[in-house]
Amino acid sequence: MLSAILVTLVIGGALGLVLGVASKVFEVQVDARIEEVTGLLPGYNCGGCGYAGCSGMAEALVTGDVNATAPCKPCKKEQRDAIVAYLKETPGPNGETVTLRG
Amino acid sequence: MGELLTLFLSTVLINNIILSQFLGMCPFMGVSKNRSSALGMGFAVLFVIVGSSIITYFLYHGVLVTFGLEYLQLITFILVIACFVQFTELFLKKFSPSLYKSLGIFLPLITTNCAVLAVALENITKKYTIVETLVNSVGVSVGFMLVLYIFSTIRERLDMNTKTPKAFLGNPLALITAGLMALAFGGLAGLI
Repeated sequence: MLSAILVTLVIGGALGLVLGVASKVFEVQVDARIEEVTGLLPGYNCGGCGYAGCSGMAEALVTGDVNATAPCKPCKKEQRDAIVAYLKETPGPNGETVTLRG
Repeated sequence: MGELLTLFLSTVLINNIILSQFLGMCPFMGVSKNRSSALGMGFAVLFVIVGSSIITYFLYHGVLVTFGLEYLQLITFILVIACFVQFTELFLKKFSPSLYKSLGIFLPLITTNCAVLAVALENITKKYTIVETLVNSVGVSVGFMLVLYIFSTIRERLDMNTKTPKAFLGNPLALITAGLMALAFGGLAGLI
């Protein structure tokens, strides 16, 4: 019993360590706004917008692939306003802000 | 040597993981819309299957058997596979963002691709040696890639066909095509 717990623990710990190191080695610089907008979206990952999950939609909004929050169906009015306001106020790495239609 | 070749051919063609065992259908339907993402998926699955097979082989014979914990194989194998998929995802995100994008949600879904777990468990239940494990896992993933690629070329041409009845457009026709492919591969059963 104890050995079972220990073995699983050690395997899990070792694999976690590998992933932790890998995430540092393969780190990709991403626009911090994408993470923020992902948090502001409903988070259902329904795919109704045509992108792979909410993070895909957030990236499209930040990079200007879509210029409105309309493709996100489950988004509520307040959430849309929050995203528009956030992107209007926060400049990206190149110093430009994104203005959405609504 | 001859036995290994037989094992390889039978896993690629006769006991094909998709068309005769019907495992790993999710990426088969999902990532077969164009050839380049099908190949990318094939290589990602190759990497995950071969890597996790080797690790699970040593994990089972080195650790689990030593401690008499064979019953833990399922949960530890799932751990290894999940870790490997995450690793692949991190790697692709860094070195091939376009492939990462085109695979989308299907990349993390390799975790739940039952083909990967099936190979890891099969290597144990069939008591393969390390060489046979390698041949088997490479064979399964080559079979997976081969069928996925063939299917994607067919689907690309189907998309250009304007005579398809409206009710069959897209996935229905793809499912029928998959069924016909399985029948055709069934014809290879007497090869060896």
